[in-house]
Amino acid sequence: MKLSQTGQTRVQGYLYVLGRSLRGALPREAVADALQEIGSHLAERIAETDPVPDERQALERVLAEVGPPLQVARAYSAELILDEAVVTGRFVPVLRGLSHIATTTAAGFFGVLALLAGYATGTGLLIVALLKPVFPDNVGLITVNGIPHALGMQFPLPPGAEVQGGYGIIPVALLAGLAVLVLTHRCARRLLAWTRRRVVRAWGSSGVGRPPE
Amino acid sequence: MTDLNGWHEQLRRGGLDLAILLTLAPGRRYGLEIIRHLETFTDLVVTEGTVYPILSRLTRDGLLEAEWVADEGPHPRKYYRLTPAGRSRLETMTAHWTTFTAKIRRLIDAAEHRR
Repeated sequence: MKLSQTGQTRVQGYLYVLGRSLRGALPREAVADALQEIGSHLAERIAETDPVPDERQALERVLAEVGPPLQVARAYSAELILDEAVVTGRFVPVLRGLSHIATTTAAGFFGVLALLAGYATGTGLLIVALLKPVFPDNVGLITVNGIPHALGMQFPLPPGAEVQGGYGIIPVALLAGLAVLVLTHRCARRLLAWTRRRVVRAWGSSGVGRPPE
Repeated sequence: MTDLNGWHEQLRRGGLDLAILLTLAPGRRYGLEIIRHLETFTDLVVTEGTVYPILSRLTRDGLLEAEWVADEGPHPRKYYRLTPAGRSRLETMTAHWTTFTAKIRRLIDAAEHRR
């Protein structure tokens, strides 16, 4: 069937929602490629479909067979973003995966918030180890009147504050920083793997892989 | 019932990769052709749009290569074909699948024989 203006607008709307759902999850070129491929699929399916009983119902049938745009976007997310992050564990794919789940699920948002605290703590400890030789009098375990106040750096030191521990803080901060970063990264991969399982399960229960009756 | 759905989904997902590689074994095909071939022989595809992310993953993993062709139909089509790595993976997966299903068949036969 040849689509009317209304039908074409409906198809454009479908592709727009799909594009919006994929953006932020996939690189720009991958989104454009996916949209072109699904658009080509739709055009061919529509061309071979008869407008029975009318154009609107025939078009909705084709779109339903292709799948709701959010479901197709979730499939891309599970197959590409989360899959790459879980399998490789590389830093950039893991960050991309975390960014995706933080913006698409409530559990992901709070999980990523906790993980960011872990990454920040680990990085902070490494910075302490690196800056200690440069600013020995301002970086380290800072106490005020003998009471621990902070582990880090302060410019200038508040009245009554002293830096404790000397250069011994360097290996401690280095080891602790690395340990926190490794642990946080492992937790990030677990969170991504858990999210991926949930997405796949939801994808299955939404009709993609229903067992035959 | 939910557990059965989960089990079936895992089975389907495990089989779909192999089914797509088998579909492309004779030569290049574009997305809709792949889906139609799968629909002819299996009930693995329920939602057409979710096959494309799998094709993208297999391409990213180096098992398939893809190219856009503009002059073979009314619309540009993205054709997929197996790479040498994909063909090698297909042979391994087919051998594993054959062995696996034969073992499960033996178990089913043994269970039915005892009944």
